[in-house]
Amino acid sequence: MSYSTFNKNQINPLKEPMFFGNSVNVARYDQQKHSVFEKLIEKQISFFWRPEEVDVSRDRVDFQALTESEKHIFISNLKYQTLLDSVQGRSPNIALLPIVSIPELETWIETWSFFETIHSRSYTHILRNLFTDPSEVFEDIVINEEIQKRANDISKYYDDLIFYTQLWQTHGEGEWEVDGAKHIVNMRELKKKLFLCINSVNALEAVRFYVSFACTFAFAERDLMEGNSKIIRLIARDENLHLVSTQQIINLWQYGQDDPEMKEIAEELREEALQIFMNAVEQEKQWAHYLFRNGSMIGLNEEMLCQYVEYIANMRMEAIGFDAPFKQRSNPLPWMNKYLVSDNVQVAPQEAEITSYLVGQIDSEVSASDLGDFEL
Amino acid sequence: MSQVFKVKVNGQHELTVDASQGNTLLEALEQAGLEPHYHCRNGFCGACRVQLTAGDVTYINDPLAFIRPGDCLACCCVPASDIEINQ
Repeated sequence: MSYSTFNKNQINPLKEPMFFGNSVNVARYDQQKHSVFEKLIEKQISFFWRPEEVDVSRDRVDFQALTESEKHIFISNLKYQTLLDSVQGRSPNIALLPIVSIPELETWIETWSFFETIHSRSYTHILRNLFTDPSEVFEDIVINEEIQKRANDISKYYDDLIFYTQLWQTHGEGEWEVDGAKHIVNMRELKKKLFLCINSVNALEAVRFYVSFACTFAFAERDLMEGNSKIIRLIARDENLHLVSTQQIINLWQYGQDDPEMKEIAEELREEALQIFMNAVEQEKQWAHYLFRNGSMIGLNEEMLCQYVEYIANMRMEAIGFDAPFKQRSNPLPWMNKYLVSDNVQVAPQEAEITSYLVGQIDSEVSASDLGDFEL
Repeated sequence: MSQVFKVKVNGQHELTVDASQGNTLLEALEQAGLEPHYHCRNGFCGACRVQLTAGDVTYINDPLAFIRPGDCLACCCVPASDIEINQ
C-alpha cells in the first residue's frame, strides 16, 4: 500500500516479483533474482558519455547549406527526439520506481532514466550550436500537431499507470471517485496497466527513434552534420540497451519466470499489446510522410523509410514473441548498420575504436619476469 | 576433439565453421555471403537473432538480450555441434 522509502519488513528480494511485491529496502546486488539487470547497469555505465565531448561546431556551417526541406527534416526529427527523451527521462522513474520490488531492477530503472537525461541535454547542445536562440524550436514541441499526436500515445499508458498507482498507494484497493469519475482499483487492474505501459515503452524504444536515426545517418553518409551524427550514434547505442531491458521484462513475464499472474495477463492482453506496437509503427510511417512533405533528401525517401520501419518492427516484434507482420525481410538501408555497430561508436573525437570508457585502468597483475631486466 | 562443425542455413546452404578460430556464427554467415541481420554485434540488441532448429551453440560473450527458447544470438556464439538455423 503506501510507499515507504525504506521498507522495514524483513523481505527476501529473491522471492519478490519484479513489480508490485514488497518495496525494496536494502540496495544490495550480491544476490540477484534477475541478474541481467545488473549486467545492463554495468554495460550502460560503461557507455557513459557527455554531449560536450562531441564537437558539433562544423554542423552550423553544414546546416546553413541545407535546402529548406532538409532543414525541416533535420529540425523536426530533433524536436521529436526531444519529446521522446523528455518523457523517457522522467517517466520510468515516476511510474516504475514506486512499484518495483527487486533492487537490481530498481537501479536499472534509475540508470536508464539518467541516460535519457543525457540525451535530452545533448539535443540542447546540438540546437544551441545551430541557432543563436533555439527557444522557437523547443517551444514548438508543445504546439506542433504532428508531435502532439505522438506525445499522447507515448504518455497515456504511463499516466494511467501512475494515476492508478497513486490511488492504490493512498486509498488501497476499491472503487474510488476522483473529479466525478469512478475508478476501480485492484491488483489485477494495476498489473494490466503495468503490462500495457511496458509494452508501450518497448514499442517506443523499438521503433520510434529509428525514423530520425535513419535521417541523421543519411546526412552523415553525405558527410553532413557529422557532429550530430556522432551524438545520435551514442544515443542509438543507449536506446538499444533500453530496448533490451523492456524485452527482458516482457519475456520474463511471458515465460512465467517472474510473477505468474503477469504470465496470465500477458496472454490475456496479447492482442492489445500487438495493437500498441502496430499503432507505433503506423505513427512512424505517418511521421516519415510529414518529414518528406516538402521534398525528400538525397539517399532517402518516404518509401524507403517506411520499409525500414517495417524491417525494424519485424525484428523487434519477433523478439517478444509476435509473428513478423510485414513482408520487408531484408534491410532496405544497409548503410544504417555501420552506425549501429557498438564497436564503431566514437566515444570522444580522439578515441576512434573503443566502445567504453576504461577509467583508471591499472594492470594489477605483475609477475617477477616483468621486472627481469630491472637492475639496481 | 574437433571443433569443426557443419552449419545448415534455411535448410539449403551448408557451411563449415571452425569454432576454435574465434569467429562468431555471425561472422561465419557473413563470410559465406548470407547477409545476416545485425546491429550492435555485441550481444545486447538482439538484431542477429536466428532460429536454432538443431544442435547447440556456446556463447563466447555473455548476451544481454533475452534468448527465447529455440533462438540464438549469432553475434556472440559459436557452434558447439553441427547445427541447423533459420534466418
